[in-house]
Amino acid sequence: MKTPKNVITAAILITAFLLLVTAGCVLFLLAARKDSDACTAEIYQDGKRILSIPLDRVSETYTLDIRGKDGCVNRIEVRPGSIGVVYADCPDRLCVRQGFVSSPSVPVTCLPNRLVILLRSRGAADDAGPDAITY
Amino acid sequence: MRVKKLTVLGLYAALSLAIYAAESALPPLAPIPGFKLGLANIVTLLLLRRYSLKDAALVLAVRILLSALLFGHLLSLFYSLSGGLLSLFAMFLTGKLLRNRFSALTGAMGGLAHNTGQLAAAFVVTSTPGILSYFPLLLPAGILTGLFTGLCAGFADRFLPRQEF
Repeated sequence: MKTPKNVITAAILITAFLLLVTAGCVLFLLAARKDSDACTAEIYQDGKRILSIPLDRVSETYTLDIRGKDGCVNRIEVRPGSIGVVYADCPDRLCVRQGFVSSPSVPVTCLPNRLVILLRSRGAADDAGPDAITY
Repeated sequence: MRVKKLTVLGLYAALSLAIYAAESALPPLAPIPGFKLGLANIVTLLLLRRYSLKDAALVLAVRILLSALLFGHLLSLFYSLSGGLLSLFAMFLTGKLLRNRFSALTGAMGGLAHNTGQLAAAFVVTSTPGILSYFPLLLPAGILTGLFTGLCAGFADRFLPRQEF
């Protein structure tokens, strides 16, 4: 059976759409990777920001425990310039496997304990103005 | 529901649950929440091609409920339902549009919709906007894995004996 023409048109349009989405995502990831020097780690639990740590001002590695409502625990290790989860009592421990992050492109998430660690580059937040002005 | 239909759909539900169980026994491919092959989607897509939206939805609902009871916790039920239903509708519409040709494309749209729904559900649960920055990773991942499961469903449709009811 021959494929009707409008089906082929639809297939081409869908392929184009999928390629566009992929290309957009890849470009976005590449753009986010650049600004990674001065980061602040923000720890959210149940949507509320509970901690904010400027990672470039951390000089010694330390750990802290975040306890959830039902006694869930995530042990977070803060290193100079990076942050990650080293222990969790959730079933899959995906947050531990996500390792340490040092750039704002991807957050560390523990969905069972509703914990999100987000990096925000301070360059983007504070001095959003122009780098220099000449007259 | 006729006995034959009940039996055939029950078999498909068991098949998709078995595929789901086998897949969750594998180590995660990448340490990103929500990133997986979604092999059980092959069964959903196959049912959508062969029977109807209603039958596919029924088997999907049974599989999601049973898998949440057997392997997950309550929250994973919410993620799976949101992702699964969105992907079911996306694949239904794409399948109609393409008249069941190009099964890989239908699967890709399903994978895309699944990850969108799942991430939206995660956003609702954690209510943290930062979690949305997983989108640029999860969308291409959904397209890629969807292309694969779609291809599998196309082959399964060709080679698996058809049961009429």
